[in-house]
Amino acid sequence: MIQLSISFLLTVIVVLLVVLFLFTIYILVQRHREIRFTEVRDTFLQKYSQHWYNYLINDEIFSIVLVPRGRAQVAAIEIIFSSYLKNIINEKVEHKIKEFSNLYLKEFYEKDLSSKRWSIRMNALYRIADFQIEALLDTCQQFEKTKISEGEYFQLLKIYSIFQPELFIEKIKESSINYSESEYRRLFVLLEDDVFIRLFEDFDSWTKNIQFAAIDTAAVKRNMQYIDQLKQLLTHEIPEIQIRALKGLYEIGVIDEIDPYVPFVTSDMWEVRLMVAKIFNHVPLNYSYTYLEQLLQDENWWVRSQAAKTIVENREGIAKLQQFMESSNDQYAIEMAQETVVRKQGNK
Amino acid sequence: MNKLIIAEDIMQEHEVKGYFEILRESVIRSRLTMTAVFFKVANSSQGTDIERNQVNHQISAFLKSKIRKTDLLFQLADGMHWGIFFLQSSEVEVKAFLKRIFAILTQEREFQQIALKASVTEIRNNSVDFETLLDKNKHKLADDEQPTWSVEQVTDYRVQPTEQVKVSIIEQNEIFRKVLDTTLKNLDIPHYTLDVSTYEDGYSFLQSDNYKTGHMHLVVMNDILPRKNGLEILHILREMPNEKKFIIYMMSERNSEGATLNAYEGGVDEYIVKPFNLRLLEAKIKRTFARFWL
Repeated sequence: MIQLSISFLLTVIVVLLVVLFLFTIYILVQRHREIRFTEVRDTFLQKYSQHWYNYLINDEIFSIVLVPRGRAQVAAIEIIFSSYLKNIINEKVEHKIKEFSNLYLKEFYEKDLSSKRWSIRMNALYRIADFQIEALLDTCQQFEKTKISEGEYFQLLKIYSIFQPELFIEKIKESSINYSESEYRRLFVLLEDDVFIRLFEDFDSWTKNIQFAAIDTAAVKRNMQYIDQLKQLLTHEIPEIQIRALKGLYEIGVIDEIDPYVPFVTSDMWEVRLMVAKIFNHVPLNYSYTYLEQLLQDENWWVRSQAAKTIVENREGIAKLQQFMESSNDQYAIEMAQETVVRKQGNK
Repeated sequence: MNKLIIAEDIMQEHEVKGYFEILRESVIRSRLTMTAVFFKVANSSQGTDIERNQVNHQISAFLKSKIRKTDLLFQLADGMHWGIFFLQSSEVEVKAFLKRIFAILTQEREFQQIALKASVTEIRNNSVDFETLLDKNKHKLADDEQPTWSVEQVTDYRVQPTEQVKVSIIEQNEIFRKVLDTTLKNLDIPHYTLDVSTYEDGYSFLQSDNYKTGHMHLVVMNDILPRKNGLEILHILREMPNEKKFIIYMMSERNSEGATLNAYEGGVDEYIVKPFNLRLLEAKIKRTFARFWL
């Protein structure tokens, strides 16, 4: 049996109690700090959100009480700024937020970037981009040289894309990290039009994910400026790019000439034929009907269905389909036309 | 002669009073302006009784042939005045009408015996009774020095009553809720007072019973809300028997055609994509209210 003296056991108990006591004190202090932090933040929000409204929206004079004293007040200002930026478009408001952040929040985020905790650094990077704290661009470039995670690098790219598009293009060219399509889309959507369009200049030099993301972003931006760029890609050798370019052109919704699309009616790939049937939605029916009739007799169900939908959307669509049903021998096409007409009439 | 016999067929002063009271109340209820015009023969002292009688018949027949089916023509008891109530018409339209008929009367030979003057009253509230209206207009036309074909104006009833509108803002973000609250409280819409209340979720709005009154009700809400989202509220409000009193603005972060279509088909009046310009929201609301009165 192990022999333990009572005094030894008592010593152990006392030591453990002391540790426990210290630990409790630590937790209580932390909790107190947390409560205090929330209190200060909420009081600031209560007291000054109206002041902020007056300053940002009503153009009232800037008051020194709006300048944060301490972290908790910075947190309150973050909440206020994020709410405004997320809900309201107003150049003046954006400019005021930018000006204020560059002046009064810069130091806080500079300190945050050298924090040991990843979450604090990430938060700082997000805020730098959201509040456009350009004054920290150099600090960010210094920060890039330290050992940073992939997520942080992604945020840095976002920051570069806002403040220094040139640097951004350079970085994604040399970047060893290959992001996913959706990540690239998130980056590209922030780019100004004149920078974004440069992605199409040397299109083949990009990786596939960048190429796909660029086409999809052009579609989301719905800017007529990109129509020419997308049209050029229609002759690209990779079918996926062709299909995405067609989809992008459909999304933008402005078809100025029909000729570039006609060859796709007889494409080997049904996805291409489907997209072209969709595109004809934006073309007057008397130009596109011959091709749509051809697509209505396609071997693929999706293509036939889309061609019928496109025809029926037109004012004379139902009459055209009825005429087609009387004259055609293709049972599949007739059935599709019939179904579409019935559905359309049901909706009316 | 046939024309003259038909002209006998117009309404008389005592018959019109009851109609007027109904029309006046419907001005408020349906927010549609009504304008009254009174005519007086300008050269009434000239000619024999028979001639005057003939002219009176001719005027009645002429006016009757020119009005629309929604206008109400009548002759006053003194035989020298005629009145027309133009429903759903503002003073501008009526003045254009007068200009048109006066041009015909002065240019065509068959009407050369007729000389008229008129007075116009735009009615946008219900604080006018029939007798006072008649008196005021008769008084306006009483001056014999007034030139023929002149148009006088009674302006006492042209101000529409101030209407109370309930406004509910349903938005989860506290800061933005306050921003909307302040913006709408400061919004000045002529002839409307806005009674603004705010809610942080859909459930508290439905619990408030604020929406069950008969007032016109502007709802500005997010599509995604905690505890009953915006689309559910939209559905509940549009299912109510008096759903027409709701003007529903939906704010959303989704900028897709599908979401927009869905919202409009569900019955929203405006779909606003966030972030948006507050001035634009104000302008849209002002336009919405401007549409209510002619």
